[in-house]
Amino acid sequence: MPQHIKRLIGVFAVFILFFLVLQQVLKPDSFGELGHFRAKAIYENSLRPMHYTVADSCTKCHKDIRIDKDLGFHIKLKCEVCHGPALAHSLYAGNFKDKELPDSLTLYKPGERKDCAICHELNAARIKIQFDTLNTTMVHQIDVLTHHPFDPKTKVPFKCIECHNPHQP
Amino acid sequence: MEDHIQNLYEVLSKVEGYVYPNEIELNWSILIVLYPYITGLVAGAFILASLERIFKIRILKPTYGIALLTAFSFMLVATMPLVSHLGKPLRAYEIMITPHSSSAMAIFGFVYLWYLMVVLFLEIWFDYRRDMVIWANESTGIKRFLYKALSLWTTDISPKAVALDDKIGYIVTVIGVPSAFLLHGYVGFIFGSIKANPWWSTVLMPVIFLFSAMVSGIALVMLVYIVLSKIRKQLLDMDCLDTIAKYLFYILLIDFALEGLDQIHRIYVAEESFEALHKLVFGKLFYSLFIFQGLIGTIIPILTLGTLQFYKPKPQIRKVIYMILPLLVLMGIFFMRWNVVIGGQLFSKSFYGYTSFKTSMIGLEGYLMAAVWLIIPFLILAFLLWLLPPWKKIETNHD
Amino acid sequence: MNDETTKLSRRDFFKTGTVLAGGVALATASLIPYDGLLFASEAPGAKGKWYGIGIDINKCIGCGKCANACKIENNVPRDPFYFRSWVEQYTIKNDGAILVESPNGGIDGFKQAAPTADIYKSFFVPKMCNHCAKSPCTQVCPVGATFETEEGIVLVDEEYCIGCRYCVQACPYGCRYIHPEKGTVDKCTLCFHRLKKGLQPACFEICPTEARIFGDLNDPHSKINYFLKNHTCMVVKPHLNTGSKLFYNALSPEVR
Repeated sequence: MPQHIKRLIGVFAVFILFFLVLQQVLKPDSFGELGHFRAKAIYENSLRPMHYTVADSCTKCHKDIRIDKDLGFHIKLKCEVCHGPALAHSLYAGNFKDKELPDSLTLYKPGERKDCAICHELNAARIKIQFDTLNTTMVHQIDVLTHHPFDPKTKVPFKCIECHNPHQP
Repeated sequence: MEDHIQNLYEVLSKVEGYVYPNEIELNWSILIVLYPYITGLVAGAFILASLERIFKIRILKPTYGIALLTAFSFMLVATMPLVSHLGKPLRAYEIMITPHSSSAMAIFGFVYLWYLMVVLFLEIWFDYRRDMVIWANESTGIKRFLYKALSLWTTDISPKAVALDDKIGYIVTVIGVPSAFLLHGYVGFIFGSIKANPWWSTVLMPVIFLFSAMVSGIALVMLVYIVLSKIRKQLLDMDCLDTIAKYLFYILLIDFALEGLDQIHRIYVAEESFEALHKLVFGKLFYSLFIFQGLIGTIIPILTLGTLQFYKPKPQIRKVIYMILPLLVLMGIFFMRWNVVIGGQLFSKSFYGYTSFKTSMIGLEGYLMAAVWLIIPFLILAFLLWLLPPWKKIETNHD
Repeated sequence: MNDETTKLSRRDFFKTGTVLAGGVALATASLIPYDGLLFASEAPGAKGKWYGIGIDINKCIGCGKCANACKIENNVPRDPFYFRSWVEQYTIKNDGAILVESPNGGIDGFKQAAPTADIYKSFFVPKMCNHCAKSPCTQVCPVGATFETEEGIVLVDEEYCIGCRYCVQACPYGCRYIHPEKGTVDKCTLCFHRLKKGLQPACFEICPTEARIFGDLNDPHSKINYFLKNHTCMVVKPHLNTGSKLFYNALSPEVR
């Protein structure tokens, strides 16, 4: 075999060898344990921070509201539906019972017409009354524009919550 | 980043009908148009070179070396548009480290390396080795070092060694033709295998990509040959150009027939997506599909080249035609890639609406970046032509 | 003699015919036929949990709380181009026109699309990752940065994704996007971090009408199995054979 062919094969062999070594070195450690992916990624995915909590953690402190709610149409609603994510709030309040709650952890208190309209505004797509074998769901639909828009005397716009207790509408 | 979001808000205001919210952003932009375009040029140029070598069409001799070097210089940058469009370019190596066997894209690294190193590099190396040994003795300085290094510090140019080189070079070319088919057919498969996208998902996609690749590669070599002869003040070999034009004509016809078949099939079966695609083709893609790709890039070249098969005007006129036609064809194929890549993302997979394409001038995914990746191969080609001028080679007959 | 051969050949024909037919029958039996509820009854080989999702379109009121909760829980960018979960409003008019909309994914609520008199029917469709069992997105990932877990959840490995966007193209449901800051792909994880703590995913937790149900398809007494048995369920784009595990009750054919 001529010399140049030998050298050429040598160069290619070095490249391929280098590549194979590199492949072993750079392959992440848990790769291929459970399939063609990093097994550790499953664990990493489970570590993401939470923001929403579970309903029980609210009613531990807010017992009065729970009683209110249980007697009304909103019995099935979880607090976070209207008030937003409450994990930090509930953790802080649960752990430091005697301390004042920092402003950043105060939850959103919806009260504007648009807040209620998001579920209750008249819309043909919104379910009317569903009589289902499993469940009966009904959402009141209100024409937000015409349903007592403002105080007839003072002309100040009404908020829904001025007449309806949101926890027991 | 801010610009990007700004762009998206502008696109959002132009959305027609309904698209899934995640579809407002076009994920594959101008750089992914370039990627099949450039690999296509490589495959096409190589196939032209192999016509001379394997199929012994001696009349193409003047373009053999140019075609090989053109293919090589475009191949060197073929991955760059891909890598620069990645969200995490520094992680690009992973595709070689842990290639996923079920992914059409994962094999790209290997197909690419095979084609670059085993086919193109080896063919050029065996073709030029004797000349490099001779040139190393004739030149000085850095050029001498380059030749020495490229010939791996060997000096064996005995007739026996040269004959062996020629034989191996031939074998490499024989392997190279199916490899070129693989490379570009495979690029078509990347698109053709996406069942979620009816504009892409057709079994003809790899074949269409292959033939359009050959068309564009041949046109490019034709252009490079003419320009190079002008720069070197050499006479053009009109017989060679006529032959190239003849092949360009045939392959263009096949390409046109295949694409026509694809569209006719699409129209005749008129599946769920038909109305949405119909509106897309006559709306947002009208100019790029019917005018640029169809009329200017395909019909006019076919008619002109077809006429030339029967009636040969004076060489002076043919020369002008051979200057202009490759440009039209190259533009047509560019818009073919555009229509596939961008067109395939303009309509919603819900078939209820259309988004629009907007990219900025600058930035990693802008037009300037795309222009850079189109210009760099020509700079590499200029360097390669300086280092390995095909016209200074000792005449060999590849027999 | 002639008769003999014809008889023989006819018998041969029947013989080969039977063998052939049997072979074809066997071969087709070994191919599992497509069944929308295939994975409701049994996961392929899995012993543990095998999650499925049920959405009752009849119960959805289009409040968009799920889309909002998803964005908050998973730190999804607030711009209206990035959603792991969103709600669509379909309006089919009397003249047959179909209007679909999802302004900001439904987070800010919906307006009725046409005057009531013109509407033939109208409904909301919450969309999210289908966690397909034969997911086209994990199939195409070139590096193995997205995968299905044993529980049937499609996850993304953020540390390994190269951002090539091939999976975004491959998802027929438009459920993936490229995170503008991270440069990697992002999608619904069925709130994997909550599941592992024994909690429900945020969108299920928050749904005011309990239109969303999820559970273990391997457990015959799970909520999801109860839901599937008692409703006529369908997946979106069944012809694509993605093995979708997001089952809709009362899904209209207009939904794509």
